[in-house]
Amino acid sequence: MTLPRNIDFDSLRPEEFEHILPDLFASGDGKVSQDPRLKKFLAANPDCAALVSDLEVIAETARSLFEPVAEPSDRVWQNIQAKLQEESALASIDDDYIDPSKPLD
Amino acid sequence: MSSQGQLMSQAPPARSNPGLFKRNPPIAGEAEAIEAAKRGDADAFARLYNLHKRRVYTLCLRMLGNVSAAEDMTQNAFLHLFRKIESFRGESAFSTWLHRLTVNLVLMQLRKKGLNLVSLEETINPEDDAPRRDFGSRDPVLAGSVDRVALERAVAALPPGYRMVFVLHDVEGYEHNEIATMLDCSTGNSKSQLHKARLKLRELLRNPNQLPQSPLPSGPEESAK
Repeated sequence: MTLPRNIDFDSLRPEEFEHILPDLFASGDGKVSQDPRLKKFLAANPDCAALVSDLEVIAETARSLFEPVAEPSDRVWQNIQAKLQEESALASIDDDYIDPSKPLD
Repeated sequence: MSSQGQLMSQAPPARSNPGLFKRNPPIAGEAEAIEAAKRGDADAFARLYNLHKRRVYTLCLRMLGNVSAAEDMTQNAFLHLFRKIESFRGESAFSTWLHRLTVNLVLMQLRKKGLNLVSLEETINPEDDAPRRDFGSRDPVLAGSVDRVALERAVAALPPGYRMVFVLHDVEGYEHNEIATMLDCSTGNSKSQLHKARLKLRELLRNPNQLPQSPLPSGPEESAK
């Protein structure tokens, strides 16, 4: 799905607008409300303008969710440590292993 | 190729998303901890875990929507990290690399559980959950702002396919082409899913009182309790 070329933004119908909206959001910086090509259309179609405004608010607020808000329980680090120690112990057994089928130097 | 090999080969190369670089500035002491961890220093592992545990866990919780599964995945992600840390060459921010590793692990788990991420439309977009295609009321429903907690709860209520694309794009800052690669779908599909996710969120946010509780705490204050 890409934005079709030769769109006449001034004679756009709301259904056509809805169809191309995902691409309009994906192109540029995602600020559809400030797209000069849509100024006239949005002014003439307040429902579409309201939709765009709401979706922009959602996308904007979503960016604030990036900061982490939750912390894992202590159990997670304890399990990680236990696994790493287990693996390290196994590795040292491997290092010390002498293959009985091979002659000693 | 082993699953571990696949995970690390999918870690971001030099052309990482500049947005993510911007959002993942270097952390003081991190570079030294990475080098020490490469030499097997156990304290350095602990430092790296403490620096990144909240971000990794929050990502897992948001994508999986379940505390127990998110803790298991956090454990899994850090174990992969510590086993493969020598392959980190600093071509991208460490947190970007770790993030990508975590996302790939989550996606692998969801695929194993039978969630078909390829044909998102058919498998995880049941008609009942599809957002209505009307434009809604004339006035902006959200009046120029959304409560962060309400949005968090609404995101948790999204169907998994919508939630995945929304979290990856709008929260984590991945581009559609990156999401398409990760989910093995087209960029058009990713754009379409994101749009439907936002429409669904708009619908959910109209009735915030009916939203379920999010598995995430409402803010840093609560998470610190």
